[in-house]
Amino acid sequence: MSGGAALRIVIAGARTGIEPGGITRRAGGPEKLLAASAERLERLGLPDSFAQELRRARRADVAAFRAELAESGTTCITVADPAYPPALRELHDPPLAVFLRGALAEIPLPAPGGAVAIVGARRPTDAGLRIARRLGAFAAGRGVAVVSGMALGIDAAAHGGALDTAGPTIAVLGCGTDVAYPRRHRGLYERILESGLAISEYPPGTPPAPWRFPARNRLIAALAATLVVVEARARSGALITADHALDLGRDIVAVPGAAGSSAAAGTNGLIKSGAGLVEDESDLAVWLGIDAPERHPPPADGEACAVLDRLSGAPAFPDEVAGAGGSPGRTAALLSRLEVDGWVARDASGRYTLARAWTPTASPPSTATAR
Amino acid sequence: MVARALTLWLTGITARRVDVEAHVADGVPSFVVVGLADRAVQEARQRVRSGMTSAEFRFPIKRLTVNLAPAQERKEGSGFDLAIALALLAASGQAPRDRVARVAAAAELGLDGGLRPVRGALAMAEAAGRVGADALIVAPGSAAEAALAGTVPVMVARSLRHVVDILADRDEPDPIPDAPPAIAAAVPDLADVRGQPRARRALEIAAAGGHNLLMTGPPGSGKTMLARRLTGILPPPGPDEVLEIMRIHSAAGLLAPGTRLEGRPFRAPHHSASAAALVGGARLRPGEVTLAHRGVLFLDELPEFNRAALEALRMPLEDGEVLVSRVAGSVRLPARCMVVAAMNPCPCGLAGDPDRECTCPPQRLHAYRSRVSGPLLDRLDLRVEAPRADAHAAPGEATSVVAGRVARARRRLADDPPAVGDDAGTLLDRAVEGMLLSGRGADRARRVAATIAALEGAETASADHMAEALSFRGAAA
Repeated sequence: MSGGAALRIVIAGARTGIEPGGITRRAGGPEKLLAASAERLERLGLPDSFAQELRRARRADVAAFRAELAESGTTCITVADPAYPPALRELHDPPLAVFLRGALAEIPLPAPGGAVAIVGARRPTDAGLRIARRLGAFAAGRGVAVVSGMALGIDAAAHGGALDTAGPTIAVLGCGTDVAYPRRHRGLYERILESGLAISEYPPGTPPAPWRFPARNRLIAALAATLVVVEARARSGALITADHALDLGRDIVAVPGAAGSSAAAGTNGLIKSGAGLVEDESDLAVWLGIDAPERHPPPADGEACAVLDRLSGAPAFPDEVAGAGGSPGRTAALLSRLEVDGWVARDASGRYTLARAWTPTASPPSTATAR
Repeated sequence: MVARALTLWLTGITARRVDVEAHVADGVPSFVVVGLADRAVQEARQRVRSGMTSAEFRFPIKRLTVNLAPAQERKEGSGFDLAIALALLAASGQAPRDRVARVAAAAELGLDGGLRPVRGALAMAEAAGRVGADALIVAPGSAAEAALAGTVPVMVARSLRHVVDILADRDEPDPIPDAPPAIAAAVPDLADVRGQPRARRALEIAAAGGHNLLMTGPPGSGKTMLARRLTGILPPPGPDEVLEIMRIHSAAGLLAPGTRLEGRPFRAPHHSASAAALVGGARLRPGEVTLAHRGVLFLDELPEFNRAALEALRMPLEDGEVLVSRVAGSVRLPARCMVVAAMNPCPCGLAGDPDRECTCPPQRLHAYRSRVSGPLLDRLDLRVEAPRADAHAAPGEATSVVAGRVARARRRLADDPPAVGDDAGTLLDRAVEGMLLSGRGADRARRVAATIAALEGAETASADHMAEALSFRGAAA
């Protein structure tokens, strides 16, 4: 059977640590590679160890390999398998096989409203983290799977936002599905496995390596119809993902940053070259073709509205919100109530920031906004 | 001939009785001190010999044996000098034996026969009454402190000769001098701190409720200035508290001889402090947490502290006392202090600064912040951010104004603490449901809300009080 051939090559790859995708393509397909004579293998420039494993793999017990995988909760789908994600077939170099682990039964199609990829800096600003989390929560809350790379920073925030709403999320890994990398995200990885899905083109046991992350970015780009880049510096890995998305004809949108901000040089550059601009949930809703977020009725308290007006400019410490002569106690109480009501949130530096879209009231700036 | 003198020996912050026995016998002239005496006690032999000669007593050229009983416990320090000299004088018939045996003596001898103060005079005076001494002889520098105990009569003597004359009823002790307050007690005024209204508010709430406080802010934002002013807004210590504080500081040798303490202690150990330095240990001397008893322990640069040292602080903060066990024995030391901790938002101090960019790699930032998590953090009720200070902000209220409010709130909390109202409870429940804080965090919020209500003079903590209390739970780490 043809699926068997691909799987046998994957087994040989797993045993030698060599990625068989490129070799297979050069050989003209899994069957041809598997059936190739010794001279042909030599002409293909294969390392001896791989050629040897390939010969052994012709007789390998495919069922045992699958059983071993199943024991660790991982399934393997090869290109020959009808269950192979159609999204990945659109790649010019689709993985020979993907390994899946997790609770999510189905990989959504790369159609608008199917999945959205949210990627960005590993060293984000607090503002970037917040918007990534909000967008992740919004999309997943509407049933749109959030695809990302589980890296530090924006990736983790996007997954985290999706998990907050118990929505679908897919982590595309640059290592085996049995490795939680970075180690700090072990907890996050477990939560993703509980309700989402982890995908990797590398067999279990493959350690993370620098060259595997750019490679997995093409899978992220392929799996989602829309790619959202939240904060990327110039020459960020997220821009590689954007290049792949462009090749695949996916929608690319970016969250803008301040002019001249080095943290947003990459995203602002994307917007300059024509990427869509997403500032909040309603912007994203348009791209995903889903309903805009519901409007929350503004707080009845005029003082509270003034506080929200003040925060719509930029995140602020309570002292900045209160302004000169304001009561620190009163301001803190207002902020806490708004936080409990879901209007504001606090970032890692302790600043309060808007947690949902707020249209500043038309009234002239009150004392709370003047500064 | 055997004679006995009485002295007191300090372990931790309490004193115990030590009997000094002197035996003068014929034989090869020698002078030995037995009874697990350390180096300083061994050196007493030289001071005693010179002191006696200078005071124009005869130093017996005989076989002299001095025993410090109980003999099985290690003793250290120079406080045994006077008692050793008196025992030898009594044994050689130069001082009245019966009086020497009943009067406790605690002073160091100078080579000229003069008396010098020892640390822990207050604790010794308290113990003197307990162990049945008729009186306590001290150097002039220890007099005022020893007299505070009010247990046995304190006899102030200038020199060894003076002591013997007093015991033989040939002379009167010196009058007990009034002690001037120690200069270190001056606390700077809160009015010096510009801006930081929220951190000031947190300081006031902490003072009113005795809550531990964590301030996070960049270098130069005024965290240390604020912390140093906390003792000023706390109510002045009562007479009993002053005694407790003085007993500790005197035992640690931190009280300048002849002075008294008036304010509450403020201790700011460097972040390189070891666990023993913080909770006490080496030679059973009090650690920083005990020295800060009834006052403030300020931990600047909290994440830089050794993890084990911070862990060691946990029990004292919970129990208000610390049990220190070493080879030399074990002592229980009081440790009821407020903790004020300060930290930068990140190693470079610039995280969250709107104008400059933080350069800390994420791993380092994570490591920095995770260093303060855990058991100690749970005991910091109030957490507040102190952002970069505005140098042109108006000066704040003066210490006296804030202290007045704190004192009133403390009385209310002591007499009739405000209960948490229904509205406040509902708000707290919603905060817990919204995962803004944990169960333990909810307990903290309840306590803080009650304090805020007491500061306002309210009988129950309202939803507004609770809302403000929730704002002090600290940034998401």
